[in-house]
Amino acid sequence: MSALTDIYVDNVTRHLPEDTRPDIAAEITATIDDMVDDRLGEDANPSPDRSAAVEREVLEELGDPVVLSREYSNTPQHLIGPNSYPLFIWALRWALPIVGFIALIASFITTFATAPQTQLGAAIGPAVGNTVNALLTTFAVITIIIGLGDRQKDGGTTATLRGRKTRTWSIDDLDRRDYRSKQIRAEAALGLVFIAALATVPFIPTTLLYVGHLNRGGTFINPDLGLGWLIGYWAFLALMAAVEIIKFTTASAKPTVAIIGGIIDVAMAIFLTIALLTQPVLHPELTSTANADIQQIITAIAIWIITVWDQASTWRIYRRNRR
Amino acid sequence: MDEDTDKALATHEQELRRGTVVFAGLVACRRPQYGYSLLTTLTEAGIPTEANTLYPLLRRLEKQGLLTAEWNTEQARPRKYYTVTESGAEVAAALHAHWLELNSSITTLWKDGTP
Repeated sequence: MSALTDIYVDNVTRHLPEDTRPDIAAEITATIDDMVDDRLGEDANPSPDRSAAVEREVLEELGDPVVLSREYSNTPQHLIGPNSYPLFIWALRWALPIVGFIALIASFITTFATAPQTQLGAAIGPAVGNTVNALLTTFAVITIIIGLGDRQKDGGTTATLRGRKTRTWSIDDLDRRDYRSKQIRAEAALGLVFIAALATVPFIPTTLLYVGHLNRGGTFINPDLGLGWLIGYWAFLALMAAVEIIKFTTASAKPTVAIIGGIIDVAMAIFLTIALLTQPVLHPELTSTANADIQQIITAIAIWIITVWDQASTWRIYRRNRR
Repeated sequence: MDEDTDKALATHEQELRRGTVVFAGLVACRRPQYGYSLLTTLTEAGIPTEANTLYPLLRRLEKQGLLTAEWNTEQARPRKYYTVTESGAEVAAALHAHWLELNSSITTLWKDGTP
């Protein structure tokens, strides 16, 4: 075995499990020697140049050692395989916008609450940095979890989560449930939970988010806010809940219901914007700084971002269900 | 044939050949074969196979229990001999039956489709 063959074989086996290396190395070496001998033919004493040329030719025919090694290893050469890819994309689509939005808003609120003199421009940098960090971490966590699942199960993580068994699929396995109705109901139920959570906002103490020191455990909302504003707020939520209940009971996304829902959402956003721009809606001890107005404006902008986002997703769901 | 057709043909031929190499390997290993002897046997039989495809394949078939492998160190050059196992022979026989059925079906289909 020449030094060149030695290097080639080493290049192949270095990527393989250690216990298989000697066997595969011996077999490849024997093969290379056989191939070289066969090409040299009857020439018992070939010149060193000819031997070297034939050996080179044989090694080139065997090809890239990394590719040969991959053939031997017979293990997945991808992180997320085709069986887990749909779950991977679904998880990213749901998690990234939610995490990104929460990280952005949380960063702004924390910056203004802990450093009252901060200018809006100075808050943008940390907010973007924190959001990018949160998005990258979420992406990494999802990729690692699904990637590991892909390696554990032949059918991929999707199959694992669905509990699919390795038996032949029959027509009895067909999911006969009305998928769209089920999805509309699930989204309506989620909407109701979200509305219920929003209804409790005026009572949520700052201690719940570990910033109770800012106003001695008071609420986030100004306790002196007129009762009329609170009743208006809950009335809008009640209308929104009514729309979700209609969606849940009828299990259909009729355009009239979607349009009424959209009008209520926009009216609610206008109501909250007026409330925020005409009086201190947030607790005075949280906003008694030079940046109080900016905080109120940021909150109003966040409300409009949520409203526009909600309208866009409602319209997308409506178009999807119409098909 | 234009360039695109040539490329498509090459891809389909490769896929067709890939499926037959397992079958041909099992048939050829009914008598003990070491890697290079199997390679030349297949080439002489008109089934040229690349060494970098065949050797990993032999290992996979061994892992599946269709081939058994044994090092022969009595010769000047140690060689690993592969022989078909009982289950490998059964698989080869079943593949042979499928092959004949396919051949018959394709021949009929070809005749029916010929204007």
